[in-house]
Amino acid sequence: MKNHHYAKRLGVALLAIVFTVIISAPVMAAGLYGPMQTVSRQQGGLNTSIGYFYHADAYQDIERYAIKQNQFYMQAAYGSKNIWEAYARLGVSDMAMTGIFASVNHYVTTSKDNFESDWIPFGSLGGKVFYPINAIFGVGAVVQGTYYFDDFSDTVAITSGGMPVRTEIEVKRLWDINFGVGAQASLPRNIQLYAGPYLYYSEAKMSRHSGLHGIGYGSQDETIENKTKAGLLMGADIPLIKGFRLNLEGRLSDKFSAGFAVSYTY
Amino acid sequence: MRACLVHLIVILFLTAGLAVAQDAIPVSAPQGLAETQEVMPPSVADRDQPDQPLAETPDGSIDSMNDEFTEDELLEEYTAHENKEEKVEMADPLEPANRVVHEFNDKLYFWALKPVARGYNAVMPEPARIGVKNFFTNLAFPGRFLSCLLQADFGGAATEAGRFTINTLWGLGGFLDPASGGELKLQKQDTDLGQTLGVWGVGQGFYIVWPILGPSSPRDTVTLAGDYFLYPVSYINPWYYWFAVRAYEEVNATSLRIGDYEALKDAAIDPYIAFRDAYAQYRFKKIKARKAKLTSSASDSLLPAHSKNIPEGGTP
Repeated sequence: MKNHHYAKRLGVALLAIVFTVIISAPVMAAGLYGPMQTVSRQQGGLNTSIGYFYHADAYQDIERYAIKQNQFYMQAAYGSKNIWEAYARLGVSDMAMTGIFASVNHYVTTSKDNFESDWIPFGSLGGKVFYPINAIFGVGAVVQGTYYFDDFSDTVAITSGGMPVRTEIEVKRLWDINFGVGAQASLPRNIQLYAGPYLYYSEAKMSRHSGLHGIGYGSQDETIENKTKAGLLMGADIPLIKGFRLNLEGRLSDKFSAGFAVSYTY
Repeated sequence: MRACLVHLIVILFLTAGLAVAQDAIPVSAPQGLAETQEVMPPSVADRDQPDQPLAETPDGSIDSMNDEFTEDELLEEYTAHENKEEKVEMADPLEPANRVVHEFNDKLYFWALKPVARGYNAVMPEPARIGVKNFFTNLAFPGRFLSCLLQADFGGAATEAGRFTINTLWGLGGFLDPASGGELKLQKQDTDLGQTLGVWGVGQGFYIVWPILGPSSPRDTVTLAGDYFLYPVSYINPWYYWFAVRAYEEVNATSLRIGDYEALKDAAIDPYIAFRDAYAQYRFKKIKARKAKLTSSASDSLLPAHSKNIPEGGTP
């Protein structure tokens, strides 16, 4: 019993250390993780959700241009014993990069300033574990990976010295991996609050199908990755009616991202 | 385009047949309900069969507005005193031709559909097959929704709209059916355009067996036309994709009821007659249940508000 109590205290202490170290690093952001504790029934069961997440981020070498994504998704999860959950997610996302097509040269004009892609499907797999410290508090961890099944692309018409050229930018094979830990508190009316740090790595190939000079973006076929690799998340999971729950979550890193999801527990 | 034209011609033909049949063969509707084994020969019309038994509310009462099966049970209890075996007559002037088509469908089932369905059954787990069936059932929402509206069953239409929304969003596109379980209890409205005509008082006409599609009547053949236009799968192009999806849907549905057809066939001296009688009684019972539901709804809505929810011997 004494050892069990000691292990609990050690777990909390380690979590506090990790939390402090990561918060002191430059913070940044990613997608919706949900509460640390599964919302599935204790004896095991499904929960499904639909969600929206606005994701803003900065990538190395092109950090001048904020990358923004609107992500809509549908998720199926299986959890059990209030301590673990595995989930899969399918969704679509667009991508925008503000100002990446803007000309920096008086002799070059572009038809538009911003990169705006079509909707691209993506899939995510993830899992989470939770350790209840007492009836109110607990700690948990979540790991999640995402892959985009198609390339984000947009084309701009450029006029340079009176010569029209069309140039295309592609962001190919975008993927990310996330790991977060968090503390969760249970409030009256079964409202769950959670917060914690997370690590995040995202990578893609970026290419430009034009040799035209005068446009201020990165070189051809280069690998890009997110600028900041850690952040802070916080969220709330609020019961609605008839088995539905509302999950609100915000993430702070290089940029602020936020989203919501409505889940249903079977 | 050519396939679509063929479909339209078939549908027009069937619809024209309906108009003729309604005048030609008046069918007397018997009083009360006849007990019937609800096992039908393989037919695309079976897409709308319910997937699971219905649950009662926590207090043991039954939600009659949303529960077709429960409604049937209540109706049977209500008519228990006249629960005599009544035969629903259905004219069959096309019997010789129908028997040929019945035989064709029978062979098609045993020689093609059943072996394929058994193979599919062996490789696809049952939960996945139920999920596929749920998906197609969810896709057929427009037909049920419109039928409820045409029957002035606005509660049923709202239930269908709610089911479609919930199952599409939280049921992973319709593969799961959260709407009918848990605290939601939004049961599928088991109705179609043929039943709508029946509720309106249109007689079922004579018995007709369509190749592949199975037993029908001119009135219920309208369901086929309605299904075509109200079923999103019908708009898949090119036509062979449409055909492949429909064939898959039918194989999946058959895999979930292998043995039902055989059971009814084996128990019958003349399977053709058995299927015809079962079909007539099955449809009659469904329409009767719909009428009872609508009557019940209308009565409830006519009651003054203060007379509702009055506890026994107490104040409201």
